Parts: sequence; structure tokens; C-alpha cells
Amino acid sequence: MASRQRYDFLLYGIFVAAILLAPLMLEEFWLNRIAKYLVFGMLGVAVALSWGYAGILNLGQGLFFGAGAYMLAMSLKLASPTSLQQGSDKPVPDFMLWNAEPGALTQLCCINKGSFIWLPFQSQWFGVAMGIVLPVAIATITGMIVFRNRISGVFVSIITLALVLLVRLLVIDAQPLTNGFNRLTDLAWLTIGAFQFDPYSRATYYLVAIALSLVLVGARLLVSTRAGLILQATRDDETRARYLGLDVPSYQIFFFVVSAAICGFAGMLYVMVSEFASPTFMDLSFSITMVVWAAVGGRSSILGACVGAILINMIEAKVSETKALVEVWKAVVGLIFVLVVLYLPRGLGGFAHDLLDRWRARNAEAVPDEGLVAERRDTVAERG
Amino acid sequence: MAATALTIDGLEVSFGSVKAVNNVTMTIAEGELRVLLGANGAGKTTLMDLISGRTHSTRGHIHLYDTEITNWQEHRIARAGIGRKFQIPSVFRELTVRQNFEVASCRNPSVFANLGFGFSRQTLARIEEVLAIVDLRDKADVTAAYLSHGQTQWLELGLLMLQDPKVILLDEPTAGMTAAETKKTAKIINSMRGKHTLLVVEHDMAFVREIAERITVLHLGEVLAEGDIASIETDQAVRRAYLGSRSIS
Ligand SMILES: Nc1ncnc2c1ncn2[C@@H]1O[C@H](COP(=O)(O)OP(=O)(O)O)[C@@H](O)[C@H]1O
Ligand SMILES: [Mg+2]
Repeated sequence: MASRQRYDFLLYGIFVAAILLAPLMLEEFWLNRIAKYLVFGMLGVAVALSWGYAGILNLGQGLFFGAGAYMLAMSLKLASPTSLQQGSDKPVPDFMLWNAEPGALTQLCCINKGSFIWLPFQSQWFGVAMGIVLPVAIATITGMIVFRNRISGVFVSIITLALVLLVRLLVIDAQPLTNGFNRLTDLAWLTIGAFQFDPYSRATYYLVAIALSLVLVGARLLVSTRAGLILQATRDDETRARYLGLDVPSYQIFFFVVSAAICGFAGMLYVMVSEFASPTFMDLSFSITMVVWAAVGGRSSILGACVGAILINMIEAKVSETKALVEVWKAVVGLIFVLVVLYLPRGLGGFAHDLLDRWRARNAEAVPDEGLVAERRDTVAERG
Repeated sequence: MAATALTIDGLEVSFGSVKAVNNVTMTIAEGELRVLLGANGAGKTTLMDLISGRTHSTRGHIHLYDTEITNWQEHRIARAGIGRKFQIPSVFRELTVRQNFEVASCRNPSVFANLGFGFSRQTLARIEEVLAIVDLRDKADVTAAYLSHGQTQWLELGLLMLQDPKVILLDEPTAGMTAAETKKTAKIINSMRGKHTLLVVEHDMAFVREIAERITVLHLGEVLAEGDIASIETDQAVRRAYLGSRSIS
């Protein structure tokens, strides 16, 4: 087992090295695109944590992604030159000006009924902080209600799904505050000290790549703590865990919240890279797409889900250069998803693990602790 | 005289019109191994459900030593010192045997206390001990789902040993086992004797003879008789209740 862990960390190391060295081989134009996919990889990590390790199929991850995105986007919108029109030195988002009632005071405090909530977002760091705080708060409240009441399985999926759709409607509906369907665009760049993160620069790519590496390794370490082990136990058999004296809901809530925080973080990075925030982040199809990435890559493997998300998006980008292939590609991803669900419940990542185990077993027949795979095959054969 | 570990007093619960447990009163002394006997549907599992908090009683009280635990939440009862093995073995199927044992060894139930890595040397040593007792040493790194039925039952017994509760409830620990496996189970249960107070549901009289000191017989939710093996086997009421049944033989 220990050597399995060593292999695991070797793979993580290779992945981290690969994404950090990628800029040496890529043109700048590609960096922005790849950075987006790395953000999706981070979403894969979040899905693997909650679905693979906690057994909670959250179909509303887009809610947390969107919450993170909007919080940072609000700050970046206020910092944008487009918010300083008409010679004012106090920022007001342009779309609020366009829609202002005649005679309304053109200030952030009172240009419309709710505009005052934008006031604290004049500080960029308030937006950054809220990008984590808001998803965490929503997840904590939802988690407490859901898990303390022992709601589980498909019902959690339905509740989270309903929640993301509800919030999406609210964001669209609150047009005067959020610009609704028209998205928050023309954003400023994130600024640290005097440095500005140009979305097409190497600096931004490295920021995203380093963030992903930290989240990836952090999540991997988290699931190998005692709490991570207990979490997997609650996934396997909630009742057994409860009768061992473990407070099952507190573990579910904790990891649900961590997963939400990662999504919120990813939402902020996405805003930096793509320069907009949109209600489509909270489309049902996006949340489901995340689940597909993780399922294909391997929900029981954090790295697998992450790589799955990145690869699917890279292939998709290549394929979509040819119009005719776009629909075909969708069908292919759908087919892979179905096949993986039916035949490889642990995804391609899990499949790779098994191959690795098998290969190691063949290469080290004499070593006693390597008998695991053979043993598994025997027991399965016995049963069948 | 030993202290009373478990006191059940006038306990009742009904499902619809069926009184599954009806005015049951019994006390179990510290360190005792009590066998609970009764035909199918007598209410044995329901009684364990009541003690462990899975089902809430409508009347009566349960005390663990001096603490009243009636109708507490399951994990609080577990932490107060009651462990339970289910009729259908219940283990963490996707974890290895060793990982199962590690989970059961986590004393502190809080998430934040468990954000660290690994286990104390003492805990690891204890896990090795239990692996030896339940004879799963060579299966330590096997995923629990791949164990045989008997091994799964022993794994669950091992979980209880590591949880180390004062009182252990075992619901049909030999159900579905071969004779050899049953023998081994009796050995394991005997090794738990003295360290824990045990309440064991069992049908297999050969097995009961091997482990029992005192027996309580449940019939239609009520206590029908209580005593040592010899007195139960000759009890007229018990014989009448079991007339034609293979259970007392
Ligand atoms: N959850 C339940 N709902 C309705 N009836 C139940 C439930 N659990 C047990 N019973 C009934 O209670 C009686 C006792 O069952 P049980 O305790 O399982 O018996 P035993 O374990 O002694 O075989 C049976 O008549 C059974 O049908
Ligand atoms: Mg029963």
C-alpha cells in the first residue's frame, strides 16, 4: 500500500511539472486557453472530492463556481475604466447608468434600489474574499439542512440542482444589479501591488497553474488524513459509521464546504482568465458537464478527475475547429460517459490504477505485499 | 458484586398494531455474556434497535451504567459506550481491512481533530492485535468487498473490538456460517468476554452452549424466561413456545 502511495505522488509530481513547464512549449495565445482548462481541472478536483470521496453527487457545483465568479467580477467591474464614465471619480457600472431612471442620483449608493450592495466591492480584496466566503456560507447552510436531516443519495442531487437553477433565475432576474443575461463584461485586470494580471500573459497562466497544483495536492493530502478516511467510510456505510460513534453529518458538511470553496476559487480564476461572469455558469448543463468530466477521468481519483476535465476540453477545442466534428464529438463524449458508467465505475483514472497494479504484480511476483491484484481476481472468480 | 452495565426497564415499541417489544425488563451485569433467544419475529433485533438508538421506544427506560440513554441519537449512544454488530454484516466495503480498523480506532469524533495524518504507535499495535484475533492478518490490505461472508463477519467483530465500547450487542453473529466458521466465531467472542459486556442474539444451540452463561428468551415481544442453559432447556413455557420448532433441541 505504501508503495502505491509513492506511485501516486510520483504521478502528481509529473502532472504538476507538466503544467508548470507547458509555457516553454506553447505560444502565448494558447496559454489563455489552457489556463481555462486548468480551471476546469480544478472543478474536476471539487467533484471528485464530493462525489468520489463523500458519495455526494452535487449537481449544483455551478452555483459555487458562479458565486465565486460574480464576487470577483463585481470588484473588477468597478475597477474597470468603463465604470468611470462621465467624468465621475466614483465608479458606477456602465450598465447601471444605461438603465438608470431619469433623475436618479448617478452614484453607487443609490442609482437603483439595490446598488448599495456594490459599495464594498470597490475594494478588490473584498471581492476576492467574498469569492470564497459566499460559496462557503451557502454550502454550510445547505449542508447543515441537508445532511443533518439525513437526506442522501439522489435527493441531495435534486436539491442542489434545484438550488443552482433558483439562483440562476435570481441573477438573471436582478438585471439592474447583475446585468442579467448580458453578463458582467469589460472587467479590469486583477492587480497585486503595481502588477496587473493580463489574462493572456504568462503570469496569469502561472497563477492558475500554481493555484491548481496547490489545490490538487492539498485535496490529495486532505483525503489521506484520518478525516478523509472517515469520510470514505461514511460514503461506504453511513449507518456503520454512526454506530462507531462518528458524527456523520459533520464530515459530510465539512467536505461539501471544502468542495464548494474550491469551486468558488475556480470561479474567480475563470473570471481572471476569461474577463467575464455570466449566468450561464449556473446553467444546469454546465454542472452536469463537470460531473461527466469527473466520471470519465475517474471520480475516485482526484488527479484522474482533474486530468479528465483538462483532456476532454483540450480535445473538444481541437475538434471544434472543424464544424462538422462538433456534434460528433458531443456524441463521442456522451458515449464514453455511458461506457465508463457501465464498465469502469472508477473512470479512466481508476482503470489506469488497476493496470498499474497489474503491471506491478507481474513485475514483482515474489514480493508478498504485491499479491493484492491476483488475490482480488481470485476472490472475484470464486464468487462468479 | 459486579455493577449493572445495562438496565432495561419496561421497554415498549409498536409497529402499527404489532407490539414488537412489550414491557421488556432485564438487567445485565458488567462483564456478563447474555444470550438472547427467540423465534423469528420475537423482537430480538427490535430490542437491539431500541438499545442502540435506531428505533425510538414509546415507553420505558434504558440505562448504561448510571446514564439514561433512552432515545438518544445513534452516534451519541455509541460514544456513551454501546457497540453493535448487525444481522446483515455491515463494514466499509470499499476500504481495506486495515483501513476499516483505522476508522474504528478514531477516538475523537470531530472532523477538525482528525485533520492529521496517521495513528499513534499504540493504536497501530492494537490494530495488529485485533487482526490476529479475528485471523485477518494476511487479508489486511484486501478491500473488504472481496472478503468471504465469514471474514466479513469477523471484520465487523474486529471493528467493535477497536471501538472498544463497554457494552456490545451482537445480532446473529454466526448467521450463514459453516460449522468451522461458527467455531472460530465462538472463539473470537469468547476472547471478547471479560473486556466487554455482551448481549448476543443466537439461534444455534450448539453455539449457545459454547458461549452462554445466562439466557433470556423473548417470545412475541415479551420476556418468556431467563436463566442458565439447563433451566431454559427444561422450562415448560419455553418448550411450549417452541413446540415443533428446531430451535431447542
Ligand atoms: N420497522 C418495522 N416496521 C414494522 N414492523 C417491524 C419493523 N421491524 C420489525 N417489525 C416487526 O416486529 C417484529 C419483531 O421483529 P424482529 O425484531 O426483527 O424479530 P427477530 O429479530 O427476533 O427475528 C416482527 O413481527 C417484525 O415483522
Ligand atoms: Mg433479527
